[in-house]
Amino acid sequence: MTPRLRIGLLALAGLALLPGTAAVTAGLPAFGATIAEYGARINAIAPGERHVANMVSAINFDLRGLDTLGEEFMLLAAITGTVVLLRGRRGEGITERAMRRPGRAVIPRSDAVVLACRIAGPLTALFGLYVVVHATVTPGGGFQGGVILATATLLIYLGEGYAGWRDAVRSHWLDAMEGGGALLFTFCGLVPMLFGAAFMQNILPLGTFRDLFSGGLMLVENLGVGMAVAGGFTQLFLEFMEETREADQPDEPGEETA
Amino acid sequence: MTVLPYAVAAWLFGAGLYGIATSRNFIHLVGCLGICQSATYVLLLGLGYRWGGIAPIFYNHPPGTPAVDPVMQALVLTDIVVGATLTALLLVLTIQVHKRGGSLDPETLRPMRGTGTSVTAQGSQDRTGAGSERSAS
Repeated sequence: MTPRLRIGLLALAGLALLPGTAAVTAGLPAFGATIAEYGARINAIAPGERHVANMVSAINFDLRGLDTLGEEFMLLAAITGTVVLLRGRRGEGITERAMRRPGRAVIPRSDAVVLACRIAGPLTALFGLYVVVHATVTPGGGFQGGVILATATLLIYLGEGYAGWRDAVRSHWLDAMEGGGALLFTFCGLVPMLFGAAFMQNILPLGTFRDLFSGGLMLVENLGVGMAVAGGFTQLFLEFMEETREADQPDEPGEETA
Repeated sequence: MTVLPYAVAAWLFGAGLYGIATSRNFIHLVGCLGICQSATYVLLLGLGYRWGGIAPIFYNHPPGTPAVDPVMQALVLTDIVVGATLTALLLVLTIQVHKRGGSLDPETLRPMRGTGTSVTAQGSQDRTGAGSERSAS
């Protein structure tokens, strides 16, 4: 298909969609005038009913918690698919140690980079944990905090090199974190049913408004999501890094900084 | 200026779609898809905005203060998470395409077939070709 034909087809499709798009655009509410009734009701009711300050977390982990469970498993499925596709050619045999390709130069890191990463890494991890556990109080939550935690492990890679990173981050732990987090979230839905409540009904004490211990079950769910996201994203990075290693070439153990 | 957010969303989506349609490289295509997706962030946040509204977090403001729509923000969060993992999945597929076909240009790639003999022969040829390239560099 020539590029000109592609543009022609795109223009044709755009023209076909134009009347519908115009109709929808004309029917949109004026920008900033009002918000949908559902959101307004949540803003009015949820702080009192659930003792949470962060409405986005209240929606994601309580009012529409079932949707987030679906999202969590979509995340799990996408990461599993990525890992399966990447390991497809390399096979199941994963090593715990970093290997290096013979002949590749080992580039030393400057002391400034190492020092900066050693200072920033733990602080980033602490901040990620803070964002995870304060999901119901301040902006943030399991997804955001989990990504920050994964970033903290990347700082280990930046500062210590690939071999040091592989020493600190174990592939099996990442698997366990990813699956265990999703399992914890699922249990948050199933355990209330043991007590005769509905699926994912918030049966834990709701705690104090604007306090770390508020929102009941939401705190546990956020811990699960934070674990799953941190493990999953680090696992993605690990598998992409392993991809740079050629499976059919002999590897030798050693320092790998590339 | 009240149509500006919607106009930005439409412009982003159009630019991304044009990039997808004319793309000659799969990595470029994944990037264009990301641009299309950022249009949805702008659109959702624009739909949920209210003049003078605070963020839907009642920590420094008492509950009852006019706030923007939290549902849209939750949707954008979902959108971002889905986008990040989908980008990873698409990039892996890109790697697989490059391994099999030796190219990332959709114009030059042949359609994939089953595990026929001709395809495996071509694949192994490409693989050795890529390997010699790598060792040369």
